[in-house]
Amino acid sequence: MSVPVIEVVNLSKAFGPKVVLSKVNLSVELGESLVVLGGSGSGKTVLLRNIMGLLRPDTGHVAVDGRIVHEMSREELFETRMKIGMCFQMAALFDSMTVFENVAFALRRHSHMKEKEVQGRVEECLAMVGLKGTEQLKPAELSGGMKRRVGFARAIALKPKILLFDEPTTGLDPVMTDVIGRVILDLKHELGVTTITITHDLKSAFEIGDRIALLFRGECLAVQPPEEFKANPDPVIQQFLRGDADGPFLLDPPPPKRTPKGVNV
Amino acid sequence: MLTPLLERTGATVLAVMEEAGDFAVLSGRTIGSIFRRPFDGANLLHQFQAVGVNSIPVVVLTSLAVSMVFAVQLSFGFKQFQAEGLASQVEGLAVVRELAPVITGLMMSGRVGSAMAAELGTMQVTEQIDALECLATDPIHYLFVPRLLAALVMLPLLTAIAVYIGYWGGYLLLVTTQGQSSVVYSAEFYKLVELRDLRIALTKGLVFGAIIALVGCWKGYRTRGGAEGVGNAPTSSVVTSSLWILVSDFFLTKLLLV
Ligand SMILES: Nc1ncnc2c1ncn2[C@@H]1O[C@H](COP(=O)(O)OP(=O)(O)O)[C@@H](O)[C@H]1O
Ligand SMILES: [Mg+2]
Repeated sequence: MSVPVIEVVNLSKAFGPKVVLSKVNLSVELGESLVVLGGSGSGKTVLLRNIMGLLRPDTGHVAVDGRIVHEMSREELFETRMKIGMCFQMAALFDSMTVFENVAFALRRHSHMKEKEVQGRVEECLAMVGLKGTEQLKPAELSGGMKRRVGFARAIALKPKILLFDEPTTGLDPVMTDVIGRVILDLKHELGVTTITITHDLKSAFEIGDRIALLFRGECLAVQPPEEFKANPDPVIQQFLRGDADGPFLLDPPPPKRTPKGVNV
Repeated sequence: MLTPLLERTGATVLAVMEEAGDFAVLSGRTIGSIFRRPFDGANLLHQFQAVGVNSIPVVVLTSLAVSMVFAVQLSFGFKQFQAEGLASQVEGLAVVRELAPVITGLMMSGRVGSAMAAELGTMQVTEQIDALECLATDPIHYLFVPRLLAALVMLPLLTAIAVYIGYWGGYLLLVTTQGQSSVVYSAEFYKLVELRDLRIALTKGLVFGAIIALVGCWKGYRTRGGAEGVGNAPTSSVVTSSLWILVSDFFLTKLLLV
């Protein structure tokens, strides 16, 4: 078997007394797209930040292309990061720069392209996310969905072989959610990249994912193809799929359900 | 009774040492990255503009105001023992040695250092600094270095401007309102001042520039906790850098004057 592109081994991370991840194991093969589901605050972002080397694991490790991220020197780390495109939850665009400068940022710093080629590549990337002609706008002038997509364009500028999406659809309307889902599928098919997508949106999760994982109380519950995942009898998974407040998913019991007639007991 | 007090004192001392260590490490990394590639000229030019050119009006106005009020006090003071002539000499000494560099440093820590802390702080809490990291760009190299270079170049220049304006501030007061002869004033202003003093003033500008940029960037980079954190970063940067400007001014004066 080939070496997985990304391998998360026994990864644990706590902030003070609060354990966020405990012994998470995941591996992503070349060209595969993994979807990670999980409730708010279940440590999904922390997982991605560990993969990018923005956080240091307490125990365990993350390996990208077989090399352990937190043991790299800073130069090696930057080299690895050039192979990874990270799309932040809030886009994290540079707000003092235009859309063009945002997307061109990595190209200007890390490639030896001439300004003309940079321009071509930026247009190509913006076209891929459906945002032609927005080059001269500032991030403040964009809507939430456009910001996310500019973030995608910035992440793919250097043609990375891995893409990480942190909740790309959260906070968007259903139509834009579908647009983003398609953009991700397009990117996956056109670039043939390996992806990890974090999402709450089950519809796009089942469209995008070759395999689906659920993070629950710091542990990784299942890592399965969509069909098997849907059929998984685990009550936590079933509750998450139904989107029901009652069940083992929450630590604190939810408020009782009301019907038009009053509280149902 | 005594132990909790000791414990708290100990914890405070440890926290302060930790902060100082963090500042030292980041400053070292900044200085170590100055000559690293890639070189971003546009970014550097932007900082020269923000730190230097845009600060000229503030420096001109404060230097004018301070040198004039100082001239008023000197002329009043020396009049008490009929030595008005000395006012312009002492004015020259005070402006070149202390007023110009220190006032410029303090004003710049308010104008430039706080802006750096606010900008980097906002970038930190909106994950733009993480985005830089993910785009394989060292934030120290990309953000700290141009700001440090701009402050190192611009603070001595602004100090020189402040000296020049200080001369005219004294002139305005002593010549136009106190009736000193302009020829005497221009000869007397530089009488006690040596070339060495100008060099000291520029050295102070250089050191204050380093303090302002490094403290401002450090406070911004270490911002935590949303809007409140961003609100505290500039305040804390101005207080810290002003304090260090005044402390280092004392030691620089003692060291460089012997
Ligand atoms: N830098 C940090 N310092 C302290 N706690 C953190 C930090 N980052 C995340 N956490 C905590 O870790 C938990 C998981 O966060 P996160 O991964 O952002 O959740 P999500 O799954 O919604 O993305 C949260 O409860 C958060 O409070
Ligand atoms: Mg998150």
